[in-house]
Amino acid sequence: MAVAKQTVEHVEALEKYKHGFVTEIDQEFAPKGLDADTIRFISAKKDEPEWMLNWRLEAFERWLVLEEPAWAKVHFPRIDYQDAYYYAAPKTKQGPKSLDEVDPEILATYDKLGIPIKEQMVLAGVEGAPKYAVDAVFDSVSVVTTFKKELAEAGVIFCSMSEAIREHGDLVRKYLGSVVPVSDNYYACLNSAVFSDGSFVYVPPGVRCPMELSTYFRINAAESGQFERTLIIADKGSYVSYLEGCTAPTRDENQLHAAVVELVALDDAEIKYSTVQNWYPGDPETGKGGIYNFVTKRADCRGPRSKVSWTQVETGSAITWKYPSCILRGDESSGEFYSIAITNGRQQADTGTKMIHLGANTRSRIISKGISAGRSSNTYRGLVSAHPKAKGARNFTQCDSLLIGKRCAAHTVPYIEARNGQAVFEHEATTTRLSEDQLFYVMQRGLSQEEAVQLLVNGFVKDVLQELPMEFAVEAQKLVAISLEGSVG
Amino acid sequence: MTLSAAIRTGDVAQLPGKRDEDWRWTDLRGLIRVLPPPSPEVSGEVGDGPFGPAELTIVNGRLRGDTAALVVPAGETRTVRLRFVSASEATSHGAHLAVELGEGARLTLLESHEGRAADYVADAVLTIGVGKDAALERIVLTNDDPGAVTVSTAIVTLGYGARLSQTVLAGGAKRQRIETRVEHPGHGAQVRLDGAYLLAAQRHADLTSVVTHDGVGGVTDQLAKGVVRDQARGVFQGRIVVAEGADKTDARMGHHALILSDRAEVDAKPELEIYADDVACAHGNTVGALDEDALFYIRQRGVPEPEARALLTEAFVGEVVERIEHEGAREAAAAWVAARLGG
Repeated sequence: MAVAKQTVEHVEALEKYKHGFVTEIDQEFAPKGLDADTIRFISAKKDEPEWMLNWRLEAFERWLVLEEPAWAKVHFPRIDYQDAYYYAAPKTKQGPKSLDEVDPEILATYDKLGIPIKEQMVLAGVEGAPKYAVDAVFDSVSVVTTFKKELAEAGVIFCSMSEAIREHGDLVRKYLGSVVPVSDNYYACLNSAVFSDGSFVYVPPGVRCPMELSTYFRINAAESGQFERTLIIADKGSYVSYLEGCTAPTRDENQLHAAVVELVALDDAEIKYSTVQNWYPGDPETGKGGIYNFVTKRADCRGPRSKVSWTQVETGSAITWKYPSCILRGDESSGEFYSIAITNGRQQADTGTKMIHLGANTRSRIISKGISAGRSSNTYRGLVSAHPKAKGARNFTQCDSLLIGKRCAAHTVPYIEARNGQAVFEHEATTTRLSEDQLFYVMQRGLSQEEAVQLLVNGFVKDVLQELPMEFAVEAQKLVAISLEGSVG
Repeated sequence: MTLSAAIRTGDVAQLPGKRDEDWRWTDLRGLIRVLPPPSPEVSGEVGDGPFGPAELTIVNGRLRGDTAALVVPAGETRTVRLRFVSASEATSHGAHLAVELGEGARLTLLESHEGRAADYVADAVLTIGVGKDAALERIVLTNDDPGAVTVSTAIVTLGYGARLSQTVLAGGAKRQRIETRVEHPGHGAQVRLDGAYLLAAQRHADLTSVVTHDGVGGVTDQLAKGVVRDQARGVFQGRIVVAEGADKTDARMGHHALILSDRAEVDAKPELEIYADDVACAHGNTVGALDEDALFYIRQRGVPEPEARALLTEAFVGEVVERIEHEGAREAAAAWVAARLGG
């Protein structure tokens, strides 16, 4: 039976976190700790123009006076910001010119992760199979970006952030920090000072990006943090779909991942941003180790009729603290947020979204599915607000939580701020456990308890899964099953 | 960080402000720079309250007569009218009253908060113990001055099998907060926690509640409705906590608000905090204008638009009033609502 076989394979492959290996490569580090010199070091390493260095230093000055926030329902020991490396890069004599020059160890790592970096592998696939361009970020630097030539023909710029700063300085300067201001919050401010790499996308007016773009982030080096910065600009009437995936090795220590993602959608443009986050969640028994995923993601629907859609599958990280948001500035712009957040073991997640309605007739839709198992804690926190000018704004929010086990927790904290009489907001939320009746029914049909739970959970999250691009949907579905491993019985 | 602590010590640093998560929409620290002087003792007549002559009257924070607490002995049934009157302009006072219901006792508490002066700052705290199998129905009506700042907090502890039915009707003030905290032990205990705010001009009202389910099989049913017009601001914060082991909890919360002008505001935070898995908890929240289809339907029947609007608004709030069990209180509540929707 195919389902049974697949389950057995899952269990075997995923007794442990399967991306938990470390790749032994020569790495170059910035000295441990954080001061203005660290920032100068990073900036010099990346051969950045003067304005970029000043921008970073200014961010650092502001970060020093900011206080670490404590309002989320997550608990962790104080982070010692001086006890980490802020820059780790695979050692190369010069930047790789082509795939052949990339350290084979790194390529092997991505191979293990199942990322089709090599274009040949994609091309070798079925004729007409969808292609997707990949930007791979290893610790602090982007190691390779594929399909550049083909994208360039369409006029799409897809490259690493460091390259964009050097070669498309004007665009970067215009948009960087325009959605998430430097001192927006503690972690975004830290990121502005020390960000190392990330992806940059620019889609020119009227262009529909010919393929899915994707980035894989991998934290490899010990005691290091990853601070990537992604900036996507969809010019008037353009469309782009972007995927992001993350993994990290198994370690006893906690590692910080404080990224900033900024999306700008101009008139009639559309951005679809999908994330499958599978950072190392820490040891399920002791809660030791794992990634602190403190990320600021925000989209600015600047132009009329623009649209941004966030889809996220959050299964990893010891602590997840993020709220992909949409600022609906343009009239008739719309924002969507589809989320599956699964916590197991000792994981903690405080995640959700913000839909800020500024323009007239703006629309937003939020579908959130939280599943908590083991001894984990899962919080949905979301804000929907309508400003006095947002006449005719509409929001629909649905958040459902599923509890599996006696010692887990699920919280729902929606904030609704309506400041005009012509906005309509609807919110509904439920919290339940898996229905005994449904379980019984499915098991009666011959499925084991584990299989039955998987089937029901997949049904529970279906609304969100179907929003993911095809390739990711399959991966995400498996990930959902894997994450719940050992949560029943 | 409470208003009562600030009044007691005269220290404005004790005031809760918008940086306190539970006070983000009712910022007292930003509003009150200097606390007004303590209210004097007033001995004159203060007339009748909205429920008629009262058994207990607290004027400027001082209880008249020599009772210090309201006690209903086991098995007895009482109806008590309790008035909080603020009678002196631009002064501040705090009051505290303990209410105790013995096993199987029944109390209908008809409580009113009345302003007979302008710009006062008033705090009231009720600590309420409801014994095993006892039942309390509490109806709160407010008639505060538009320049007043008031906070009223009830801390309720329920015994097994106890019942709490509460309806708060808030008319707002410059800042008005009515907070209810319930320790819910489950084991047959039941809570109904209703409220409505009807606000006009620049009034503000904040209905906040926290219900903590500590034991198996608790039931909580909460319904709050709001109507805001002009530049008024309504706030609803409801939190239902289900502690580890409080299985079979059945909790439902609904908050629905109508915004009848372009400059009014509604802020809501219906929260669920759940640490047990065998529960059924849900909340719903809607904010919007009157339903155009319903309006059209009524006007089509020949009813002029202002009346049609009034009819729909009254029906909207009516749902909360109808759930009041005590007949006299229900009538007083209906009159209170009619007076506010009439304009």
